[in-house]
Amino acid sequence: MTEEQWDILKRTINGELFDPLPVGFIMDSPWLPNWYGVRIIDYFSNDAIWLSANLKAISEFHDAMFLPGFWSEFGMCTEPSAFGARGTFPPDEFPFAHKVIRSPEDIDDLPIPDPATDGLLPFVLNRLRIARQGIEGAGHKIRFAVARGPLNIASYLMGATEFLTLMMTDPDRAAALIKKITTFLKDWLRLQMETFPSIDGIFLLDDLIGFIGVEEFRTFALPYFKELFDSGVSVKFLHNDAPCKVSAPFLPEMGVNLFNMGFDVSLNELKELTEGKVTLVGNIPPRDVLASASPEEVFEKTKELVAALRDRARVVVSCGGGMPPGVRTENIIAFVDAVKASLD
Amino acid sequence: MEVAVRKIGECIERGKVNRTSPYPRDMLGQDGSDELTRQALDSGITAEAILQACNEGMKRIGDKFGRNEVFVPELLMAAKAMNAVMSHLKPYFQTGVVKTKGKFVIGTVAGDLHDIGKNLVAMVVEGNGWEVVDLGVDVKTVKFLEAVNENPDCRVGLSALLTTTMLNMSKTVMGIKSRFPTTPVIVGGAPLTQKVADEMGADGYAPTPQGAVAFLDRGAGR
Repeated sequence: MTEEQWDILKRTINGELFDPLPVGFIMDSPWLPNWYGVRIIDYFSNDAIWLSANLKAISEFHDAMFLPGFWSEFGMCTEPSAFGARGTFPPDEFPFAHKVIRSPEDIDDLPIPDPATDGLLPFVLNRLRIARQGIEGAGHKIRFAVARGPLNIASYLMGATEFLTLMMTDPDRAAALIKKITTFLKDWLRLQMETFPSIDGIFLLDDLIGFIGVEEFRTFALPYFKELFDSGVSVKFLHNDAPCKVSAPFLPEMGVNLFNMGFDVSLNELKELTEGKVTLVGNIPPRDVLASASPEEVFEKTKELVAALRDRARVVVSCGGGMPPGVRTENIIAFVDAVKASLD
Repeated sequence: MEVAVRKIGECIERGKVNRTSPYPRDMLGQDGSDELTRQALDSGITAEAILQACNEGMKRIGDKFGRNEVFVPELLMAAKAMNAVMSHLKPYFQTGVVKTKGKFVIGTVAGDLHDIGKNLVAMVVEGNGWEVVDLGVDVKTVKFLEAVNENPDCRVGLSALLTTTMLNMSKTVMGIKSRFPTTPVIVGGAPLTQKVADEMGADGYAPTPQGAVAFLDRGAGR
């Protein structure tokens, strides 16, 4: 993100109203390599291709913030790889991680990884180191320390069904797993911040919190997210595009000040649930509208979204979730144009 | 007798699997669906009566899930309690004393390792009297075709969590429909909508396990 974009984002979070409203997208694989016309495996394995794809996107859509921007990752394999999870990388499909925890007892012996050396994490950082000059040469900076959230990682290490069941049958072990992952994540976020002093934000992605009730959320999520977001950075960004009505009222307590949700709940309702304290990044339907509709329909739906806002403060107009595969350039332009045309 | 059967239904609804299970906390140390089913069968209660109580228990927890009164972990525990009952009832199904409603082949499509939606649907569908053939995760089209070939009167359920793997789901739906045009196929998963399901050529779309049961029970697609 440029200095100007970062400044607008921080001022939006502080409640300042911009007209037109800022636009932002979570931009990652597989949308970006597909849009750029390269295979996913090339995007992940070739630092030059990765940088070129990102530079082309920020150049082509300069009116939109890309969150987190220059996201160095290996899909869902990123953090699980540090725990020893086998990653499968089909040439042009999203990679996935295999389980490493076969029984609850395995949690007791699970080592806490060193993010400086373990799994794919050194490659994540090194890609950014190599690209840093190119990123800054384009007027952008690395702004976010990024990681999947603790429950999300637990579900990859153990299996979602097994982990959610463990919460009920062996809550102490489930908490022990989350604690280990949180310890690792704190180290990982800190390492990113130490490596890139331009980082002034934390971005966590965790959709597993959408599947649990209040009691489990208070036990297995809230305290750990509080720890992870307990930092002096300006922007504390959470993505959860699974159901969010249970967790939304806790966002301020978690420390979150920027939230990207799914599209099953309206921005107006979320403003009420968060008491207007959290900046919302959303939320036209990503697949049925942004990816599948015509530019004219995207324009209309986006205008409807902005027009429906009862309070335009603390909103970054986006889709409900990350940029889905298959979104065409024309649709993104139509989206941005619609926001520009939706002046207060 | 009525009390014993009702207790089994309550264990399903509350997710009480067996005596050693620590969940739910207020039933700690009590018999669960496992022990109660064994006792019920030993005392001469019919498998049909037990199954009926289980179905009612599953319906109650399913309704609570639909009203956001309970969430996925509670539903998973209910399904575990149901599985404990089914392990006792299996011989009765095999001998034909108790009849299943039919066969339901389910799997998460190729490239997708997510099992939570698939497992929930499988467990709830089984709890509603269907025989489930669970093919697991990352299931390629050819494996679905083999399963349909082996179970000619089955219905098929495809699950996907990732937007990217919806493309594989579409290929699998086409693969099944081209070879077995009368086999009903239902799809579900986070990235799915009715519109997407229609475009794939699926016979049904269910956003919840209960939706899948409703689809199967009404003989949809046949």
